[in-house]
Amino acid sequence: MKLPSEIGPEARIPKLAAGLVRLAMPEDERDAVLGDLAEEYSDRVEQSGGRSGRARAWYWRQVAGCVGLGLWLRWRRRSRLAAGSSGSVGVMQALVRDVRHGMRSIRRSAAFSLVVGTTLALGIAATTIVFSIVDGVVLNPFPFPDPDRLVGVGTMYPRLGPRVGFFENMSPAEYIDVAEGSRTLERVVAWDMGNRQVTFGEVTENLFSAFWWGDAFATLGVRPVAGRGFTVEEIERGDRVAILSYRVWQSRFGGEPSLVGGTILMNGEPYTVVGIMPPRTSIYGTDLWLPMGVSPAVFPRNRRQFQVLGRMAAGVSLAAVNSELAAIAGRVEAAHGAEFEEYEGWAMRAETWNDINVRNLRPAGMILVGAVAFVLLLVCANVASLLLARGAARRRELAVRAALGAGRGRMVGQVLTESVELALFAGVVGVALGWLGVGIVSDAIASLGLRIPGEVAVNGRVLGVSAAVSVAAGLAFGAMPAVHAVRSAPQRSLQADSPLLAGSRSRLRLQRVFVGIEVALALVLLAGSGLLVSSFVKLGRVEPGFEPANVLTMRLTLAWQRYDRTAIEPFFQELRERVGAIAGVSDVATTSQFAPLVFSRNQFVIEGAVSTAESALPVAYTTVASPGYFDALRIPLSRGRAFTEADRAGTPLVAVINEAAAQRYFPGQQALGRRIRLLNGDWIEIVGVVGSTRNVGLERDPEPELFASTLQQSGLSNQMFLVVRTEGSPRSVLPAIREAVHSLDPEQPVYLVRTLEEAISGTQTPRRVSMAALTAFGVFALLLAAVGIYAVVAYAASQRTREIGVRMALGAESAQVRRLVVRQALVPVGIGVVIGMVAAAGFGRVMSSLLFGVSGNDPVALGSAGLLLSAAAALASYLPALRASGLDPVTALRPE
Amino acid sequence: MRKSGYLGEFEQVVLLAVVRLGEEGYGTTIRREIERRTGRQVAVGAVYATLTRLEEKGYVGSRVGEATARRGGRSKRHYRLEPAGERALESARRMLDRMWEGVDLGPHAGRL
Repeated sequence: MKLPSEIGPEARIPKLAAGLVRLAMPEDERDAVLGDLAEEYSDRVEQSGGRSGRARAWYWRQVAGCVGLGLWLRWRRRSRLAAGSSGSVGVMQALVRDVRHGMRSIRRSAAFSLVVGTTLALGIAATTIVFSIVDGVVLNPFPFPDPDRLVGVGTMYPRLGPRVGFFENMSPAEYIDVAEGSRTLERVVAWDMGNRQVTFGEVTENLFSAFWWGDAFATLGVRPVAGRGFTVEEIERGDRVAILSYRVWQSRFGGEPSLVGGTILMNGEPYTVVGIMPPRTSIYGTDLWLPMGVSPAVFPRNRRQFQVLGRMAAGVSLAAVNSELAAIAGRVEAAHGAEFEEYEGWAMRAETWNDINVRNLRPAGMILVGAVAFVLLLVCANVASLLLARGAARRRELAVRAALGAGRGRMVGQVLTESVELALFAGVVGVALGWLGVGIVSDAIASLGLRIPGEVAVNGRVLGVSAAVSVAAGLAFGAMPAVHAVRSAPQRSLQADSPLLAGSRSRLRLQRVFVGIEVALALVLLAGSGLLVSSFVKLGRVEPGFEPANVLTMRLTLAWQRYDRTAIEPFFQELRERVGAIAGVSDVATTSQFAPLVFSRNQFVIEGAVSTAESALPVAYTTVASPGYFDALRIPLSRGRAFTEADRAGTPLVAVINEAAAQRYFPGQQALGRRIRLLNGDWIEIVGVVGSTRNVGLERDPEPELFASTLQQSGLSNQMFLVVRTEGSPRSVLPAIREAVHSLDPEQPVYLVRTLEEAISGTQTPRRVSMAALTAFGVFALLLAAVGIYAVVAYAASQRTREIGVRMALGAESAQVRRLVVRQALVPVGIGVVIGMVAAAGFGRVMSSLLFGVSGNDPVALGSAGLLLSAAAALASYLPALRASGLDPVTALRPE
Repeated sequence: MRKSGYLGEFEQVVLLAVVRLGEEGYGTTIRREIERRTGRQVAVGAVYATLTRLEEKGYVGSRVGEATARRGGRSKRHYRLEPAGERALESARRMLDRMWEGVDLGPHAGRL
């Protein structure tokens, strides 16, 4: 855990580099060298104005020389000591000998080492990539200290449903209730988000911005890398001061230190930059922080568009925070329940910031970790199996050594050293491959514009895990052949090769066990990937209820300082007209939200329906849309009519509902002509029913949705989406749309620009990543299993060379010999398939949250994975069998 | 296979840096002095390897010095010239001087 004081240039000494030097240096020389390196590093950072890039590069260039120096010093001392020979030196010398012997032995069997090393390296690379992703995105997405004490405050309105909302869920008054009423939260902040245009030289760019009440840095527990946070006065007065993100500071200003205290142009006005956020300070990806500039008291109590974040006091439990929040909610309900009906039974709940942000990614992350653990197990089983086969070939060598008086410990040590060397070599190659892979993954994330909470990078933790895994793998797969080698009695091994040797029998048995394990593991991965592929196919066939092709969407947030309630709808109305006039645009509409991701919902009252205090009120997703919305998305009208331009302020209020709402709330009745009322609202007449869309995600059934017209409900929200249906490629009209926005208001940014198809596929990211990973792992697993089976069959066949020779000399057909060899191999494969099926069904249940339209034990997915594996196994065992059956009996029977 | 008493070029450079710096001589200052005067980049490991060899030959001595925050709290190792080092430097210089005696490459240097 990083302390705030450590976040500064001096803490950015490349830890791995320093660690390598520390490791290599003898203790008494460590301080001099590491101290010099640190000193020079700090000077170089200072010389380049706080930028650490070149200094880091210099540091890394020193590593090879310093490590060499350290090893040289150690070697000199040891060789000097060795002249006086003592017990501990004997151990060291033995170790040196083992290492040398191991290297020789690895070189001698290059092809074998290559297969084992590559297998292991790929396994380690996969581990490195997956742990980098899962660590950066799910386990430690934020750099904030004591992450368990950083909590978001969510709200839940029971009559709206059981969901706790953490996004745009708090009003300023509620923030004050929490900030002033809570003792368990030592700091509380609230923020709103929007976009600001910042000019960098020639370029003007939209920066996603957060507007704060309270001390954000202190609450997050970090300090600015340069400058300071906002003062209380600045926040209250709304001074023109700004804080920039580290990445904008680096990418736009080259990390120029003098930026702090300087000014930037924002929406054409100068703002003083007072501070820079530390790297990875991700508050929903905001790059610019500004004071809220207005007192919470000016907002109505039900203006809920803010988020509240708090830091728990030391030694306080989350339960204590929640019971305090419950008490505060109770007080608020008592004081304001009469005026605001939604407070009835409402609750506030705190959850850690990590949980809030990564909850929906966690299942995918855990599946990835599970899958990569399987792959690694498989790799170890495969390598162990290969080493066992090779152990047979080395039996004589070891037997000779044992006969000549080599101790058991020495022999085990020697075989183990060799395995560990291989593992370390594979670890280096694997981490390097993983490093490349992580780079590719994080580039892909950046180029896809995926919004993920953390960042994906190889870090110290990940390297530690990979190194530990590679050494553990070396020990694990090395131990077995080593023990095996020692247990076989030397004199019997030195006798002529005989298939009846007990040693080779038990070795074969072990190898068959490994084959069974490999097959089972590979089957689980293949079946998992099959389940996800099948989910995707099913999702692709879902009828969304609208036509996603050729629709461009974007969001606009009008600054409340410049647009009051009455100015909002005229702006959007004018915008619709101008965008509608662009060539290639066939429909245009504005809406507060759109399928497949509607989020705002409300309770309503149906005129004439009897409702008691306890009964749940009808609930529907409530979308405020302009005329033309249903045309733009091609949502079919079932009955009645859609909105028209004639439904404006002053005419009777009208609403349109979807089929899901009609079926749920007006079953067997005519919905048209009925009147409904939102809480605190006026009566609205239902004039139309439209087809249901998959409005809460493709994988879920349509939810009831209620549409009101922007012309009649104008000014409810200053944030609207523009949806534009085009005749050609949707992106091609974007410049013209930006131009239209600019002509209306040169300072107005548009953001969240996506095609509707991108918006849909964005909801599938965790599933897509899991599918890609499981499929890649599954294919890798299949290959590994095939290699393992091949090795075992080939070894078994070689052990039985004489027997086969005898059989063939006595007239056995080569087909019979092939069958014999293959059949023996397929027994462990069959057992592995059965075990794998059972395990895969269990794994499928774990994956259930990512599956759609298939159950976790889907027979098609399991069956086809089983078939695929069996086919691969048959092929892998047929090749050595073919060779065995082609033996010339004379050669086979000739002694070695 | 270097004859004792004979100083390599880099060894001379390091020894001279130690002489020039006096009390101020430790790893970083020695390396910087060399970089500044020779205009060449010098690796940290190279300096220490040479200093270690010089110390083994008894040409320089060292003591553990103070630690500073800038060094991450790690102490310095100060080097000073020993009498044997002084003699070695002087003999190296005399050797070179004798070799240069009467040699004048002049304006035709490089063209015999």
